[in-house]
Amino acid sequence: MAYLFATGALLGLLTLIVPHMSEVNDLALALLASAALVIAAIVWVSGDRIREWHIHAVLATGTLIVSLANYYAGATTLYPVLYMWAALYAFYFFRPAEALAHMALVAVSYAVVLAIQDPESAIVRWLLAVGTPLVAGLLISRLLHRLSDRAQQIEQSEARTRMVLDTAPDAFITLDRDGVIMSWNAAARRLFGWTAAEAIGQTMRALIVPPEFSDRHDQRRNALIASESATATERFEVEFQRRDGSRFPGEATVSKVDIQGEVFVSGFITDVTERLRRQAEREALLREQAARAEAERVAELVGGMQALVDAALAHRTLDGILRELVTQVRGVLDADAATIYLADESERLTVGASAPGDITGGDAFANRVGEAREAMLARNDASANGGALVGVPLLAEGEVMGVLVACATPPREFGGEDLTLLRLAAERVGLAIAHARVYEREHRIAETLQRSLLPDRLPSLPGLEVAARYLPAASEAEVGGDWYDVIPIAGGAVGLVMGDVAGKGLAGASMVGRLRSALRAYALEGHDGARVVEQLNRLLWTEAEDSQMATMLYVIVDPAANAVRWVNAGHPAPVMVVDGEPRFLEGAGSVPLGVLPFPTYEEVSDRMDPGSTLLLYTDGLVERPGENIDDGMAELAARVREAPEDPDALCDHLLATLVPAGGAMDDVALLTLRNLPVPDHFSAEFPAEPESLAPMRSMLRRWLSHAGAGELEIAEIVTACGEAATNAIEHAGVSGGTRFEVSGGRDGREVEIAVRDQGSWREQRPGDHGRGLDLMRTLMDTVAVDPTPEGTIVSLRRRLGGNGGPG
Amino acid sequence: MDDLVHVHIEQREGDDVVVARLTGELDISGAASTGQRIADAVPSSARGVVVDMSQLDFIDSSGISMLFELARRVGSRRQELRVVAPAGKPVARVLDIVEFDRAAPVHADVDSAVAEMA
Repeated sequence: MAYLFATGALLGLLTLIVPHMSEVNDLALALLASAALVIAAIVWVSGDRIREWHIHAVLATGTLIVSLANYYAGATTLYPVLYMWAALYAFYFFRPAEALAHMALVAVSYAVVLAIQDPESAIVRWLLAVGTPLVAGLLISRLLHRLSDRAQQIEQSEARTRMVLDTAPDAFITLDRDGVIMSWNAAARRLFGWTAAEAIGQTMRALIVPPEFSDRHDQRRNALIASESATATERFEVEFQRRDGSRFPGEATVSKVDIQGEVFVSGFITDVTERLRRQAEREALLREQAARAEAERVAELVGGMQALVDAALAHRTLDGILRELVTQVRGVLDADAATIYLADESERLTVGASAPGDITGGDAFANRVGEAREAMLARNDASANGGALVGVPLLAEGEVMGVLVACATPPREFGGEDLTLLRLAAERVGLAIAHARVYEREHRIAETLQRSLLPDRLPSLPGLEVAARYLPAASEAEVGGDWYDVIPIAGGAVGLVMGDVAGKGLAGASMVGRLRSALRAYALEGHDGARVVEQLNRLLWTEAEDSQMATMLYVIVDPAANAVRWVNAGHPAPVMVVDGEPRFLEGAGSVPLGVLPFPTYEEVSDRMDPGSTLLLYTDGLVERPGENIDDGMAELAARVREAPEDPDALCDHLLATLVPAGGAMDDVALLTLRNLPVPDHFSAEFPAEPESLAPMRSMLRRWLSHAGAGELEIAEIVTACGEAATNAIEHAGVSGGTRFEVSGGRDGREVEIAVRDQGSWREQRPGDHGRGLDLMRTLMDTVAVDPTPEGTIVSLRRRLGGNGGPG
Repeated sequence: MDDLVHVHIEQREGDDVVVARLTGELDISGAASTGQRIADAVPSSARGVVVDMSQLDFIDSSGISMLFELARRVGSRRQELRVVAPAGKPVARVLDIVEFDRAAPVHADVDSAVAEMA
C-alpha cells in the first residue's frame, strides 16, 4: 500500500514538473516540488505504521499542491488526468462516499484554478485565493472528523471486545513477540490473582509459568511466532502457577496474531482441574464398570466351573458324571450340542455321552484335539456344517481320558473365554472321570464278587421253605459287606447265616468270601454254633487288616426237633413269627466279630414249631438316616404283622414297605425260613441225581419225627429209604428217567414209604453185592418191589414201636 | 454243591498211621471221592489207616462199598484198615448189618484203633 501512495505523490510531482517548461516562478515551483517530495518521503518512510487519516491528509495535500502547481503552470490540459488519478485511487482505497469527497475537492480546485487564471477582479481573485484553501480545509476537516468518528468507533469496538474478554469465563492474555504481557482480562485476574496493572508489562514466563516449564514456554511461543501461517492456533495442556504459588492444570488455546506485520500472541487459558477431575471420575467409573464386568464374567466362569464340577461330584457313576457334564457344558457355553468322547483301552475315542445328540463331524475334531493334547477352536468348520467347534482334552495324570467337544451354529461363535472355561473344567473333569472309572471298576468287581458269594440258589429243604433277598444300596453308593447263607447240616438241620462286614468295596467283599467259606467248613465239621462263631472271630481278629469288624447271626434250625438255636455277634435280633405275631429273639447277644480276641459267644435255643417263620435281616432294612433304630425295629414288626406268611411274599412285602423308592442307603439282605406244618401224608418229587438224597433224608427225618418215630427208628428208616432212592437214581441213569417220587403215609403206628422211579428194577447195583437190598430188608418190616411198565415202585413198611429195631 | 461229607486227614505215630475223620453224611454222592481221598492220603510207608466214623451222621450201602473197596486196596499194599464206629450209633448199626468186621476191625474209638495197629 505504501508504494501506491508513493506512486501517487510522484505522479503529483510529475504534474508540477511537466508544465515547468513554459513560464516559471522558479521559487514557488521549487517549494512545491520539495513539499511533494517531503510528503512522498514521509509516506515512504512511515511505511506500515501509516493510518487511514494519514492517507487522506496526503491525498488532500497532494490535490492542493497539484492545484497550486496548475495555477502557476497554467497547464490546464493536465486537469482531466489529475482528476482521473484522484478518482481512481480514491475508489481504490476508500468507500464511495469518501472517494466522491476527494473528487469534489479536485473539482473545486479545478474550478478555482480556471477562475484565477482568468480573473475579472482582484476581489474575485482574492476570494478565490482565500476561498479555495478554506473550502479544501472544510472538506478536509469534515473528512478528518469522519475519520475521528471511525477511530472512536474502533475504540468503542475495542472497548466492547475488551469488555467481552473481561467478562469471558476464560483468562485472555495477549503477549508481544518477546513474551511481554500486553493484555490481561478479568478472568485472568481471577484465575491467577494478579491484576491487569500488575501483569501488563511483565513477561508471562516470570509471572505464571512454573520455573521448570519456562524453557518449554519460550520454545512454544517462538515456534508459534515463526510458523508460516499468519493465524496459527495451538491448543495444549500445561501446568500454571497462581500468585500464591499454587498450581493448576490449564488448557491454553493460543493464536499467532499478525496485524500488518505486528506479530503478537493471544491466548485463552482455562482451568481444567474440574474437567480433569470429572474426566478422572468418568475414567474411574469406566474402569470400575469394566472391572465389575470382568468380575461378573469371572464369577460367571467360576459359576460355570462350579456347575461343571458339582455335576461331576454329584454323581458317582461314570455314566451319571458324563451325562450331567454334557448337559452343563451345553448350558454354560450356550452351545447347540456337547459330546464327551472317552478313550478306550486302545486309546480310541468313542462317544461317552451327548446332549442333546452326537455332534456331526465331532469325532474327527475330537481326534485332532486328542492328538494335539490341547484345547482347540475351529470356526467355520466344514465338518460341523460351517459351525464353530471347541474342544478340550480331558487329562488325568498325563493320560488323555477323553475329549470334550461343543458345537455352535452362527451367529454364536466360540471365543477365548469359552476356551478358558473349558480348559479350567477339563482338568477336574479328567480327574473325575479317572476316579469314576477306578471306582466303577472296583464297584463292579466288588458287586460281582459279593453276588458270587451269595447263594445263587437256595437249597431245597424238606419241610422248610426258604426265601432270601439281597438289595444292593442305590447304585451310586459303595457295595456293602452284607451276606447271607443257608447251609444244610447233617441230621436235617439247617444253618442260617446273616452277616454284615463293616468294610465296604473290595476289601469288604473279599472278607465276606473268607468268612463265608470258613463258616461253611466249621459248620459242616459239626461244631456247635457258639464254637463256629468263636472260630470266625478268631479268623477276623488274627487275619483281617485294619481291624475289620463284622456283625453276624448264626441260626440253626432243627425241624426234626422243632427247635431253633442261635448265636448273635452284635447283629440285629432275628424275628420269630408265630401265628402272625412277630417276636424279636433277644438273648445270646455278644460283641461283633473282630472286636475282642477271646469273646464269649453263647448259643441260645427256643422252640420253633411247624407253621412259624424266622426272619433274619441286616440293619439296612431298619436303619434310616436321622431315625432311631428302635423306631425302625417297631416299623419292621408292624410290617411283619400285616405281611403274608409265605417266605417269598413276606420278603417282597418287607422290601416294598421298608425300602425307600430310590433304593436303600445301605445294602439290605433278608432271609426268611418257614417251618412248614407237617402233614400225615406227604409226597415229594426229586431230580434223579445223587444230590437229591440228602434233602430227601432231611424231609423224611422231619416227617418221621412228626409221626412219632424214635431217634434210632428214624435213622434206620431213613437208611432204608435212602437205599431205595439210590436204586431209583441208578435206574434213572440206565433207563433215562429224570425224576423219582417219595411219598409217605401213616396208618396208626405203621408208616409206609414208597419210592417210585421211571426205570426198570435190577436186583443189585454194580459193586453193591446186594447190600442195598439187604439193608432195606433188615431195617424194614416189609419191602415190596413192584416193577411196572412205567417204572418201579418200592414200598417200605415198618411199625413204630420206640427205639428198637424191627422184631 | 458243597460236599455233604468232609474228610479230615491227620498223621499219628509219626508217619506210621493215617487217621481219616469223616463228618457229615456219606452216600453215593460223596462215596467215591471220599474213598479216593483216603487212599491218596496213605503213603506206602504207613502201616495203615484208621477211618474214624464216630462223627459221621449217616452211611448207606455206597459208603459201605467204598469201605470194602478201601480195605481191599489197603490190604493189597500190605497195610491195615481199621474203622471206628461207636456202638449204638446208626453207622455202627449199618456196619453190623453188612458184617463189615469180616473185612476190617471195627473199634469204639480212635485211640484203640491206632494202638491196635502199632
